[in-house]
Amino acid sequence: MTAGHRERHGDRAERRRMPGRGRTPRWRLLLRYLLLLAVLALTVGPFLWQLSTSLKGPGEDIYRYPPSLIPGHLTFGNYAGVAEIIPVWDFALNSLKVAAANVLTNCAGAALAGYALARMRFRGRRTALVVFIMAMLVPVESIMIAQFVTMRELQLNNTLIGVLLPACIGAMNVLLMRNAFAGLPYEVEEAAFVDGANAWQRFVRIALPSVKGTLAVVAIFAFMGAWDDFLWPLIVLSDQSKFTLTVGLNFLHGTFADNQRLVAAGTVIAVLPLIVMFACLQRYFFRGVGEGAVKG
Amino acid sequence: MRTSMRRSRSAATATIALASALALAACGAPDGSGGADSASGKVEGQVVFQTWNLKANFKDYFEGLIADFEQKYPDAKVKWVDQPAEGYPEKLSADAAGGTLPDVVNVSPDLAYPLAKAGMALDLEKSAGKYRGEYLDGAWKSNEMPGMKGVYAFPWYLNTGPMFYNKELFRQAGLDPAKPPTTYDQLFRDAKSMAEKSGRKMAMLASTPSIEDFGRYGVRLMNPQGTEFTFNEPKGVELLQHYKELYEAGALDSQALTAKAESAGRKFQQQAVAMNPGSALDLENFRKEAPSLYKNIGITDAVNNTGKANMYVQGLMVNAQSEVKPAAVAFAHFVTDKKNQMAFAKEVTIFPSTKGSLDDPYFTEQDGTDATRVRVASAKSLENAVNYTPVLLSDQMKTVLRNAVARAVQGKQSPKAALDGAVAECNRLLKTG
Repeated sequence: MTAGHRERHGDRAERRRMPGRGRTPRWRLLLRYLLLLAVLALTVGPFLWQLSTSLKGPGEDIYRYPPSLIPGHLTFGNYAGVAEIIPVWDFALNSLKVAAANVLTNCAGAALAGYALARMRFRGRRTALVVFIMAMLVPVESIMIAQFVTMRELQLNNTLIGVLLPACIGAMNVLLMRNAFAGLPYEVEEAAFVDGANAWQRFVRIALPSVKGTLAVVAIFAFMGAWDDFLWPLIVLSDQSKFTLTVGLNFLHGTFADNQRLVAAGTVIAVLPLIVMFACLQRYFFRGVGEGAVKG
Repeated sequence: MRTSMRRSRSAATATIALASALALAACGAPDGSGGADSASGKVEGQVVFQTWNLKANFKDYFEGLIADFEQKYPDAKVKWVDQPAEGYPEKLSADAAGGTLPDVVNVSPDLAYPLAKAGMALDLEKSAGKYRGEYLDGAWKSNEMPGMKGVYAFPWYLNTGPMFYNKELFRQAGLDPAKPPTTYDQLFRDAKSMAEKSGRKMAMLASTPSIEDFGRYGVRLMNPQGTEFTFNEPKGVELLQHYKELYEAGALDSQALTAKAESAGRKFQQQAVAMNPGSALDLENFRKEAPSLYKNIGITDAVNNTGKANMYVQGLMVNAQSEVKPAAVAFAHFVTDKKNQMAFAKEVTIFPSTKGSLDDPYFTEQDGTDATRVRVASAKSLENAVNYTPVLLSDQMKTVLRNAVARAVQGKQSPKAALDGAVAECNRLLKTG
């Protein structure tokens, strides 16, 4: 009986796959996979190289051509070495604080602003939208010194709040949220309105649960942005105890000689949380990208 | 929305404030440093000391140094901060604009220049001139700024480097591995023959000429007043013409046009190019990261036509607006004095800028190891070395030069036209900067 069941199941699977195979010839499928593999090698290759370098022991040629990805003397010593040279866990904690706060402020702020721009009727709504788009055009580097002077006036230089503040609500995120809200059917909210829901209730109970996907996208963007930022934290912070991970890891580049193995180990440490974060949120992420694109 | 509006408005005010602040600072500069003999006084207060990426590897040395200083001057305290390698110029300019520059700052002459010009750097000729005799003349002078009187940083450690070459590649190309080129003419000849013999497979050099190469070739880079660049003189054109021929012959690496010091070093480690300038420190690096290259490494003096090697100078600048000037000057001098520089030189292969230090047996006696050989040779070449890179040559100008060189080497422009254009552009930047 079990055998029969399995057979029948197999049959069905076979039948379901059949039409697909009929439509695309085998060589095209092969070509497709080859192309995908090539792109994969291109994007993942450098990271794999870093990973393998970080695991290589002393006495191995790391710049050999063609490169060898399998370390000859596997070692985790380089990771211990990173922690010895710099307080990498303190840096990571600082980064985590900034990134987590950035996710919260961006999700909350962008959702509120996006909902207002998409659903509220008020004077200057269009102007506000244009301001947001214009804000995205200003290159960050050009206003960095002005930002620094502002932070100093507020006496927030050399604090993690100073690192967080300029990026706490990104214009891009607000636009993403606005588009997500604008894409929801209006009738649902009208129904809620008839039932006596006020703007706040409609926002929290009706609109927000429908844009979880975009919220996840905003969360990932905010996290990555805060986690990867280098120049601004470097400028606003002066004490080593407050440095974020990207700034701190730069100490691994020696003044006189680089130890590539340590640099590679540091890079892997820095990227790991991003991979974990993406793995956790990827379900929402892809849904979110689609959601935004409908009304893009 | 409101947040964004408020932010952009405050940013605008800040920009205006910043512009006027810098203008004020620039105007106030002559008076500010003029009346500044406040450097003599009681050594007390907290000195903030900023180094450029030295904490990771030399923590113990600096902590010992600071403890010694605090013991010598019990009323003074030193707070040490260290900045990472990247983004240092940006960090300095932000701090200068925000008025948060530390009291003693690690700078190279080109980084000191804009700060000195804005009146942020103390004129040490005036306030610490009595120490002048302690330093090598060339090193002290390397912190003179064109168009300004005075010296704006204590010379600290020096660096120079030999040329490394790959004996195995020399052998394969039929060149004598015992006789590496020492002048530019020999270098060009050997490079061409190497490319020919290997059928363009082996390149001699990994990068196009930088400003130091122009200097070593004997090109006059600036007029004596420091008001105009002159590297488009016939000698400069001649050097570029040679490089163009090398590129055509395949004697430069195929990625030479975009090469930076770091990527050139990597090419050498991959054994893709036969010769690369380096420093005494690289040797240890090769041993660790490219053991198969290390077996075939050859070391020779940097190629030059002038008889003078190039040197890199690091310095310590004292903030002209520091509230603890006497202590800051005392500390900057303390770090750069003979004893402490010598101790630093034993930590890592750098060369002290103090007089007489290079006569120490540590820099003159061989002990049979390669590392010592490089150290001794480098120390010897430092006796009359000069810092070829003009302090006025900003990063932006270096890019202008690099692009011009790339155009000429590719044959898109004649070497003369390319250099004329680069000089005109650099002079324009010099005037507006």
